[in-house]
Amino acid sequence: MTTTTPSVELSGITKRFPGVVANRDVNIKAQAGHVHAIVGENGAGKSTLMNILYGLLRPDEGTIHVDGREVSFASPSDAIAAGIGMVHQHFKLADNFTVLENVVLGAEPTRGGRLDFEAARQRITEISQRYGLEVETDALVEELGVGDRQRVEILKVLYRGARILILDEPTAVLVPQEVDELFDALRELKGEGLTVIFISHKLDEVLSVADEITVIRRGTTVTTVEDPRSVTARQLAELMVGSELPVPELRESTVQDRVMLTADGLTLTLPDGRTVLSDVTFSIRSGEILGIAGVEGNGQAELVEAVMGVRRPTSGTVHLGGEDVSHWSTRQRREAGLAYIPEDRTRSALLLEAPLWENRMLGHQTMAPNARGPLLNRGGARADTERIVREYDVRTPSIDVAASALSGGNQQKLIVGREMTGEPQVLVAAHPTRGVDVGAQAAIWEHIRNARAAGLAVLLISADLDELIGMSDRLTVIFRGQLVADFDPRQVTPQQLGSAMTGAGEAA
Amino acid sequence: MRRRFDLRSVLIALAAPVLAILFSVVVISVVLLAVGDNPFDVFSKMIEYGTQPRTEVLILNSATIYYFSAVAVAIGFKMNLFNIGVDGQYRLAAFAAAVVGGSINLPAPLHVLVILVTAVLVGAMWAGIAAVLRAYRGVSEVISTIMLNFIATGVIAYLLQPGRLAVEVQGSNNIGTEPIPPSGQVPGMAIIPGTESKVYGLAILAVLVGFGYWFLLNRTRFGFDLRATGMSESAAVSSGVDIKRMIVAAMLLSGAVAGLVGMPQLLGSSYSYSLDFPAGLGFTGIAIALLGRNNAVGIAFGALLWGFLDNSAQILDLEGVPKEIVTIMQGTIVLSVVIAYELVRRYRLREQQRLTGQATAEPTGIGPGADEREGAPA
Repeated sequence: MTTTTPSVELSGITKRFPGVVANRDVNIKAQAGHVHAIVGENGAGKSTLMNILYGLLRPDEGTIHVDGREVSFASPSDAIAAGIGMVHQHFKLADNFTVLENVVLGAEPTRGGRLDFEAARQRITEISQRYGLEVETDALVEELGVGDRQRVEILKVLYRGARILILDEPTAVLVPQEVDELFDALRELKGEGLTVIFISHKLDEVLSVADEITVIRRGTTVTTVEDPRSVTARQLAELMVGSELPVPELRESTVQDRVMLTADGLTLTLPDGRTVLSDVTFSIRSGEILGIAGVEGNGQAELVEAVMGVRRPTSGTVHLGGEDVSHWSTRQRREAGLAYIPEDRTRSALLLEAPLWENRMLGHQTMAPNARGPLLNRGGARADTERIVREYDVRTPSIDVAASALSGGNQQKLIVGREMTGEPQVLVAAHPTRGVDVGAQAAIWEHIRNARAAGLAVLLISADLDELIGMSDRLTVIFRGQLVADFDPRQVTPQQLGSAMTGAGEAA
Repeated sequence: MRRRFDLRSVLIALAAPVLAILFSVVVISVVLLAVGDNPFDVFSKMIEYGTQPRTEVLILNSATIYYFSAVAVAIGFKMNLFNIGVDGQYRLAAFAAAVVGGSINLPAPLHVLVILVTAVLVGAMWAGIAAVLRAYRGVSEVISTIMLNFIATGVIAYLLQPGRLAVEVQGSNNIGTEPIPPSGQVPGMAIIPGTESKVYGLAILAVLVGFGYWFLLNRTRFGFDLRATGMSESAAVSSGVDIKRMIVAAMLLSGAVAGLVGMPQLLGSSYSYSLDFPAGLGFTGIAIALLGRNNAVGIAFGALLWGFLDNSAQILDLEGVPKEIVTIMQGTIVLSVVIAYELVRRYRLREQQRLTGQATAEPTGIGPGADEREGAPA
């Protein structure tokens, strides 16, 4: 049924960033009156692509056609003029303005130099009735719920005359009922002949709302599914991740008797009275990986900080290799063999402006080969940085470039290499493969496996359930600051973990 | 290959200040033309006067003082601490040192040492107040050091009165502290040929402080911690730096160096702290630290340039050109230097990213689609 001119056609789009090709030869055709879904993993290049379509970025190669006409956008205003509107994942609304004011903001109707709110109100009411987007025009945005705010964002775009709507992960912030409402609205929109481009990685939702699905993997379009009924969520997932995806898995158990890290009754109450960690107790043996699963914000970050000594728990103790380190500083703990891969590498693990060899010293600036007494050993640090770059395959022209010049995966390989050096006893790894490419991910897993075989104890925190299940010797779930359930990773399914992570199935 | 890369980066690093100075010469020329003076004449007069031996001594002496001040500010800058209080720190330190120096009598080297140590300790103490407030109470050091400048002014004004710590300066209606006896004075060095004028003996101390500053920052663990904290506090924390202690240590060091700012003048020419003891040098230090990019050598050049402008401008009044024109020049230099450095920083980052992009060009071929795109032009 698609013989007509597509309302949006992207052909051969390529966009390079320093060190990465974010999009390569992307081809997408979206029809008017359709919901066209674009799916792909985090970092697959969806956002780059949409920013190109919305005029925020310019492609290095390729063309964009809107309604059969070739266009070139220098800025979002060009895209808006061509009838393209974008609803961002994070709302861009002024809280202390009313819905009406937010919608007209930047496109205010005037009459004789004065704002003409009446005309605007009429148009908004007309649009909202036509597409079933009911909102109270005079309500303050700060009083609205998330679903309503999203409708305001969509209204804003429609008010500017958009015929092509880009929705970037629109359901990420919605509860299921609101998702249904959104999908009803999307059906109205396409019924009126608008084009909806729907970006998501939630496959079930995509299958229920999309008319066509384009899969993006590692920056390029893998395939377009013309009939969503012909595929299952599993098939889509395989297309998204590709078949050569490395599988995290451990071989035989290497667990030894010696307990390396023990947390006993860790409790952390914030000054505002919230308890973010509550009686967290665990121990990890030499050669063992303990995985902690949990929805983000359930105390993982605080637990890591308490173990590292960055944050003092209200009560509870931490033992490292049998010694009570509860009152030790972060530096003392690191010197005692506690290695640390922080959750946010650009904030907590790197000095972005500093060269790689100085970054190699970070966290180990008091230890060999980086220091000799109170002095730095620059030669030693440089030589060891060369070794890390070689052994961990950090792709860089030199160890003198700033860390910010490296891609995320290469930054992470440098961090992993650094933390694995110096025979650590315990590794605290928070999201060690987050945002890195598939190759780097496999390499990082392999390094962790090798260190485990050599007797390293690992506390692994991750949002990637496959990684947790595949890489852990034991699994535990953190929920609202408590360890609520233990699982054997050889038997647990992601579904079981998922329900424990949301607190379901817990009597307490 | 590294050598070529380094040569390049040296050239790029030099480009920023040179371009900035050229730019400000252009700006100042426009200003001069606007007020009806010939810029060429003005500049050649300044250079002619500025290269006379007597003026060269004055330039070196000014630069010595500016250097201490700028290093004091730079220590704070390296950790993102804005020590605006160098001004109050050095004045209070110089005052206390003058009082101590004038009231004791010790053999020569010891006398000088006691005075210098007093200055360093008082400067550090005064900065330490702001440091503790920042580290343990979260008070912005900008606010507290500005306040402390005023308090220092008040304290000195209170104590520098006849009947308290002041005596009348002979042959004038000025008042000052008891003069420091010769054993506490630092003789000047007649190192510039063609003039009787002497360069402050403490210029040597300035060189030592500069070397110490460079060594501390670039060769010691402490310096690494300090720079790491300045670049990213969160990364420094994860690496095991105790931020509060670093704040206190850096501020104390900054204040200690600030304590030396008044010493060349006190021990080399005035020998007492009187009402006309120079004020405002702490603010000059901020400008020079910016100009020198917190780099020990860069600050030295900045201090010399500043000294040159200040001293060579003295001729302008005689020529009927307002010497305030130099203040405009100093202002435009600082502004354009800051902008030029930022431009160069961005250029360098892009350059590095481009190079890294080339080094990582192959791995983007990994993964799906690589096969069919093999042989395609990169």
